[in-house]
Amino acid sequence: MKHLLNLIDGDKDIGRGNKFWAGFFLVLICFFLYPTFVSSFRASNTAFYLLNIPMGFGLCLIWGYCGILSFGHVAYYGLAGYAYGIIAGNLLGNSWGPILGVLGGLVVCTIISGIFGYFVFYSRIQKWIIPILTLVFTLLLETFFVQTSGYQWRVGRVLLGGFNGMTNIPFFQIGTFEFEGYSFYYYCLVIVLVLFFGLRILVNSKFGQIVIGIREDELRTEMLGYDIRFLQCVTFIISANLAGISGLLYVQWGNYITPSQMGILQAALPVIWCAVGGRNSFIAVIFATIVLNWLSFTLSSQGNQYALVIIGTLLVITMVFFPRGIVVMIFEKMQKIR
Amino acid sequence: MDIGPLIISLIYQLFANAAFLFLAALGLIIILGMMNIINLAHGEFMMMGAYVATITYHAGVPFVISVILSFIVVAIIGGIFELLIIRRFYGEELGALVVTWGISLVLGQGTLLLFGPFMPSIKIPGGSYKFGVFSYSEYWLILIGVCILLIVLLWWVYSFTNYGLQAKATMQNPDMAKCLGVSTKKIYTITFSIGAGLAGLGGALLSPTMTIAPFMGQQFVAPAFITVVVGGATNVIYGAVGSSLILSAVKTNIGMAFGAFFGTVALLLTALIVIRIMPNGISATFQRYIDKKSLSTK
Repeated sequence: MKHLLNLIDGDKDIGRGNKFWAGFFLVLICFFLYPTFVSSFRASNTAFYLLNIPMGFGLCLIWGYCGILSFGHVAYYGLAGYAYGIIAGNLLGNSWGPILGVLGGLVVCTIISGIFGYFVFYSRIQKWIIPILTLVFTLLLETFFVQTSGYQWRVGRVLLGGFNGMTNIPFFQIGTFEFEGYSFYYYCLVIVLVLFFGLRILVNSKFGQIVIGIREDELRTEMLGYDIRFLQCVTFIISANLAGISGLLYVQWGNYITPSQMGILQAALPVIWCAVGGRNSFIAVIFATIVLNWLSFTLSSQGNQYALVIIGTLLVITMVFFPRGIVVMIFEKMQKIR
Repeated sequence: MDIGPLIISLIYQLFANAAFLFLAALGLIIILGMMNIINLAHGEFMMMGAYVATITYHAGVPFVISVILSFIVVAIIGGIFELLIIRRFYGEELGALVVTWGISLVLGQGTLLLFGPFMPSIKIPGGSYKFGVFSYSEYWLILIGVCILLIVLLWWVYSFTNYGLQAKATMQNPDMAKCLGVSTKKIYTITFSIGAGLAGLGGALLSPTMTIAPFMGQQFVAPAFITVVVGGATNVIYGAVGSSLILSAVKTNIGMAFGAFFGTVALLLTALIVIRIMPNGISATFQRYIDKKSLSTK
């Protein structure tokens, strides 16, 4: 137990020591109390900001900690969503359906990312090719799902639905209890918390040290006797599954999924969250994901067409003036002052 | 049915597809090969080229001149981006990738806000030419000719002009080039704007064959980047020509047999297999072969 606490408080992420954790738990209590002050609709909207965080974590792990940039994590988001929709939709009425759907979604993510990772990492291709291949992969998936309209694209009882996407995806349920509204908000919050602590343990453990070693110097890490191809592949699979978790939560939240969730504009979003927040810090990614999702949601729900321009400009400004992320650099400044 | 016209039709399609890939990837591969910058705003540069061509064409400028104009305008825009933003990211491949992505978002949505969702299209110049049972678009035949012209022109620029030699020196060893009095910063700016301009030129040349819309750049992303990945960045001309020919051979046959979507899937699979065999792309393997040959004859 002591060992685990030490790992959580490790030095591979910003935010250590009693003061930080006191603040962290204070904010956490606010998050837990939040639904008591707002309507079920607002809580559900906020849950949408939370459910994107695991995908941000996934990109943070693979880009910030392993040094491999993936532009195609939305592919796994979409795949997991579609897999859940197909499995849970076919087992409609069965209380085990959603749980099997979740497992199925994660298995699909693992298999596809494993195959992709094998080709990419075992051929030791240059670093810049990976983002391009992942991007092309997700664009292809989008094209594939767009053309799946009509009755011939049916899996069991579920229609894939082409451009309009898959609808009537069931809520997540355990036994007879369905997660929606307030309970969905708490469900997302707990998942994000568990993943946050799990990932802090992961990056501060021996595995995390080696992964960071790969980021710093691939050749040297390999000379120390580690199979970097395998480790990169494993890290890629983990982060693809994190994106898959986001996709699962998304379909359980909105009960639908469209191919545009795997489109080029969606693919940009997790990269932006990580870049603006700070790619080597999970806490910064949480912060940036919530703020940026809130920003784009507010802008676009007012019918403001400048949302993409503003977010793109923000990305360019961050990359030019705050290359390590706004949240991380502010945090470091504060520590220096103290 | 006669076999002759069928073969000629296949060859025509092969070269037309190769011309499309070549025009879509040329600007990208120059910027990547010379400067090691992956320009994700490439599709948007092509879109701007198409817009410039469309606007000037409908203002009454002849198509040939509007294509040249689009090269110049996009080259200037690219040069400005290089001076303001890109030059901070040399040596940081992933950073450059992300920042050019940001630029592409702003350009795409900005164009939508400025010009609206639709543009009048350009009529395909030239008629069609009939041979046997198949007919051929004259415009695509011209495009194939333009590609050959561009290859010769690039070969001449990078083999005989002062700028070309300095650019090659900068590519091989920037520090040494600097010591010998080459202003590498200037070379990078010129190279980037030439690459951007070629993207604009490609967009303008392909604009009669497609719908002009603010996000039209996205449809170039997959083919252009696959061409670059397969071609590699060791030698710009070998890479661009070799990979667009190979990919078009794959795409033409698979696409004819199974449909356009599977043609694109086959492109991705080809890319995965090629980089599994030749991690640095076709151009690196080809260059090594030529180097070996020239060594053995000496």
